[in-house]
Amino acid sequence: MGLTAPGAVVPPRLQRALDAFAGLQDDGLYLVPVRHHSPACALAVAALVREVRPAAVLIEGPEEYTPLVAALQDPATVPPVAVLSIARTGESTSSAFYPLAEFSPEWVALRAAGEAGVPVAFIDRPWAAAEHPDEEHLTRTLQAERYLADSRTLAEIARREHCRDHDELWDQLVELRPREDLADWRRTCRDVLVWSALARLDYEPEVLAAEGSLDREARMAARVREWRARVDGPVVVVTGGFHTLALVEALTGAPEGDPVRALEPAGGYGPPATQNTAAWLIRYDFARLDALRGYGAGMPSPGFHQRTWQWLTAAEGPEQVTAEILVDVARRVHAAGAYDRTGTAATGAALEQATRLAHLRGHPWPGRTDVLDAITSCFVDDSGPDAALREAVDRAFCGHALGEVPPGTAAPPIVAEARRTAERLRLVVTDSLPRTTTTDPVRSPGQRERSRFLALMEFLGTGFSRRVGGPDLVRGQGLGLLQEQWQYAWTPMVEAALIDLAQHGGTLLDVAEARIVAAEHALDASPERRSAAGAVQVLAQAAVVGLGSRLRPLVDLVGSHLDVDPSLGSVVGAAHRTLALWRARASLDVDDAIGYSLLQLLHQAVPAAAYLVLGGARPGPDDEERAVATLVAVHDLLRDLQHQLDVTALERALDRARLDPDTSPGVRGALVALGVVDGAVGDDELSAQLVAHLGTGADVEVSVRFLAGVMAAAPDLLLHTPALVDAVGAALTRMSDEAFLAALPELRRSFARLRPTETAQLAEHVAGPAGGLVDVRHTDLTQADLAEGVALERQLSRSLADESLLAWVLDREPS
Amino acid sequence: MPVVEQAQIRASAEQRYAHELVALAERDREQGAELPPGWRLSARAVRDFVVGDPAVGVTRKFYGDDPLVDRAVVTLLGRQGLMLVGEPGTAKSMLSELFAAAISGTSNLTVQGTAGTTEDHIRYSWNYALLLAEGPTPRALVPSPVYQGMVGGQVVRFEEITRCAPEVQDTLVSILSEKQLMVPEQGAESRVSARPGFNLIGTANLRDRGVNEMSAALKRRFNFETVRPLTDRAFEVELISHQLAAALGDQAERVRVDRDVLDLLVTAFQDLRGGRTSDGVPVKTPETVMSTAEAVNVAHAAALEARYLGSGTVTGAGIARQLAGVALKDSAEDATRLRYYVDTVVRERARTDARWREFLGAATDLWG
Repeated sequence: MGLTAPGAVVPPRLQRALDAFAGLQDDGLYLVPVRHHSPACALAVAALVREVRPAAVLIEGPEEYTPLVAALQDPATVPPVAVLSIARTGESTSSAFYPLAEFSPEWVALRAAGEAGVPVAFIDRPWAAAEHPDEEHLTRTLQAERYLADSRTLAEIARREHCRDHDELWDQLVELRPREDLADWRRTCRDVLVWSALARLDYEPEVLAAEGSLDREARMAARVREWRARVDGPVVVVTGGFHTLALVEALTGAPEGDPVRALEPAGGYGPPATQNTAAWLIRYDFARLDALRGYGAGMPSPGFHQRTWQWLTAAEGPEQVTAEILVDVARRVHAAGAYDRTGTAATGAALEQATRLAHLRGHPWPGRTDVLDAITSCFVDDSGPDAALREAVDRAFCGHALGEVPPGTAAPPIVAEARRTAERLRLVVTDSLPRTTTTDPVRSPGQRERSRFLALMEFLGTGFSRRVGGPDLVRGQGLGLLQEQWQYAWTPMVEAALIDLAQHGGTLLDVAEARIVAAEHALDASPERRSAAGAVQVLAQAAVVGLGSRLRPLVDLVGSHLDVDPSLGSVVGAAHRTLALWRARASLDVDDAIGYSLLQLLHQAVPAAAYLVLGGARPGPDDEERAVATLVAVHDLLRDLQHQLDVTALERALDRARLDPDTSPGVRGALVALGVVDGAVGDDELSAQLVAHLGTGADVEVSVRFLAGVMAAAPDLLLHTPALVDAVGAALTRMSDEAFLAALPELRRSFARLRPTETAQLAEHVAGPAGGLVDVRHTDLTQADLAEGVALERQLSRSLADESLLAWVLDREPS
Repeated sequence: MPVVEQAQIRASAEQRYAHELVALAERDREQGAELPPGWRLSARAVRDFVVGDPAVGVTRKFYGDDPLVDRAVVTLLGRQGLMLVGEPGTAKSMLSELFAAAISGTSNLTVQGTAGTTEDHIRYSWNYALLLAEGPTPRALVPSPVYQGMVGGQVVRFEEITRCAPEVQDTLVSILSEKQLMVPEQGAESRVSARPGFNLIGTANLRDRGVNEMSAALKRRFNFETVRPLTDRAFEVELISHQLAAALGDQAERVRVDRDVLDLLVTAFQDLRGGRTSDGVPVKTPETVMSTAEAVNVAHAAALEARYLGSGTVTGAGIARQLAGVALKDSAEDATRLRYYVDTVVRERARTDARWREFLGAATDLWG
């Protein structure tokens, strides 16, 4: 097997390029096609540099990185690190990362050049010169390899080789080769060139021109020629394999290289650009490196490759990696709790399984998918992988290394950004004293911006600002209020927190976006924890800090959670908050499309809530109070929405629950009461039900729960419906003393829901105009009781006078 | 066991694909491939038998999950048994038949698990006439397929294992861990030891879980592989249309079943089965099996209703009525799930599509 195996059919254009590629080497020009973060490519680079002893090393990466070479080669720099690029064009800024791991070919090239004392240069187009059209902030990496994932040819080969995707195919063809083959850099280079060229040939030239590849290749080819002329001796050029074909064709004058050559300016590119752009060396970690894989940047599972790399570069073979990973996974699962399929025997079986799978698939040692498959076979049973296992596998394959940068490395510009924005919004940052301020987002765009910035800084945990009052859409509090109260202070701790944040993103919004995306993934990752209310909270957070770009995916996420959320409370809560967001859409500057989608979410919440109503109406006795509250919330939602949406499904569901024999008494009480409020149920029916529940022989507990439900849902119903009071009164009168005493605590709780004035009103009604029903006068007091009372009052007055509190009692100024 | 030399309704895998097995064995010989002990083919040849290899004229028999096949083959090489689980109709039994045919040359060593399966079916029983005449001699012993597989070093299939009572299932625990079967009737030391090549492929229906849940001890003796259903709508419509025609027989001409009504039926079934519509709208999956066979039942019933009680044309409303009858048999919760489907998906589709409008009308009357 292998891409360049004898007999493999190679397209003629590719064959010509392969010949030209070898010809360039004869001229001392060594183009090294790589996949980012590929240990096999890194080994090839190391072997190549050892053998040819280059006079210069050129690397694909924005030109403005060249001044950072010294910092990158500093012994105190330990990968994973990244170069953070920030470009400002007019009002907007855009940022991107260029991550480097120990096993990145670019890293190996940088370090090998440093040891050999030869110059290193980055030769790609400056980041600021690039157009950054449709990519999202967070996903921007300078090592995009999307073309591999999209290639039809590679997908076809993968299918033929029984691989599930191009990553597995890559492992099979390039990474998983005997060590002696991996040391053969000529073969690796050739294979990688064929691999990437096959992907490239799937692309139309117009697409390549439009996405800027040709433009970048023109510059890289020009720089390579300049360096070729400048130094004597071999020149090594490390670039993504996708560009190598174009570079070979451009440099050797092949006709296919014309489109690239045509883009080169007549006078050349001049000295490397350092304008309008800034680059910073920052610490990076594997979690973020791995997160980029979804966007086609480099190889997945850095933790796995880190281990492979360590073994590959040590004396022994990488076979040990499998055992380490499996034990690591098993140990994590055990630490997380009981799981009976990851014992020592199962771990041993998994090791055997991985080894046999590798053998079956012709791998010299178990690769990433072999180990993953072994885990699937041996650690998972018919109930599927549980959360602990998923987490353990993620951790083991992703790794947790965090890089180091030399002390004194310049602070990234996020600190300045925060300070500048605060100043612009007239927040005081010249001292570290805490201050308070009020914002009124409804009033003006300036106020909205202020509110967003303060919310953003609070969300990022910088310690700069804190909301102390006003509407809070994220927590769903104070929703009727308009003005927000904030406390803020610019302290040294704020600056420290901001520097720490720089590794998560180039700008405040980038970091916020990373946070939001992480929260999205957390919600999405574990199906059992899916909560629509949780998702809406993240959505509200994004809206409040002004992350317009995340709203669309979050709205979709809320939509998907609404449909699977098993909790009525969560669904209804989500709907209420969505409604609040929709109502606040103007002050949040949410665009019309999102506004419409919020309405759609409400539209979707109606059947989702309707589906859950029946189940929600059957709580256990201990959960009844909460269930009643939830159903009252359902009813509120129905009333809030009925003028905007078709809520029939929800109405029907409430009706069904009211009539359902399994509905718990408290919930039924609430539903009947709500029915009366809506006019769907007559007063007489409620009275009849109350009488039936409280009648002779009725189960006291059930009847009291029913009444509690009525009182919780519509406490004022009793006030406005005299017939009802009479029915309750009559029923209570009929109750035996014992039953009444047993029910008394619950009854008191239920009636405590009335406001004091309502209680008085009710008492008046119960007492009647003549006050005949209840005698509230106490007539059994003795003179001694009176004397004791008088003495007590005197004592109290004295002590109040001593504490100067008499004025408070007598309601007048102290004399 | 005598081979019956007459027409069969269904030939076994080793009969149907005899020439492919021969070709793969030939390739193994040419390449000097290493055969695992007791196996008739190399591990790679077994894999290729299932996923196909055009180079030697071997057809692909299982689609969609090649890594699963790799894992299964490798599991069968080891000490663990292989347990294929999945929804009904996901080709679990076909896979186990193919593996047994390729590895051992026979797929006939099969235990069909039922509620009536006893330990005897798994261990051995006796020919009582001989037992009375001769005592517990080897001649009087009737070996089970498991027994035969152990003696012959062959792969044994255990279909629908979760239909058996748990205590019967647990007979397998010691067989799988000790690879031995004691025959105390023939003396304290009498036992059958499994020869290399013996292993067990179980299949279990995910819907049976909870009825006869496997014990943890038994589960630990198996590696589990979950086989997932394939989803090709056009193919399913075609299949139902054929089966419906067969079921209706002569009456097929007297009742009109339009293609788009069948399309509606298949769409509804696939939505409910997969828990998600083709547009990605999630729906609640009913507990009842929404298999293709059930879809045929619904179509058949709707056609009969149209023929004898209706206008002679199957409508969306007819489908809705029959769907209620066929699909709502397992649990009361299913009614709520279907109602949710109607409230979300059907209501939306009814706005633009007359057939879904009919469906909605009937569904609201019936289940609303």
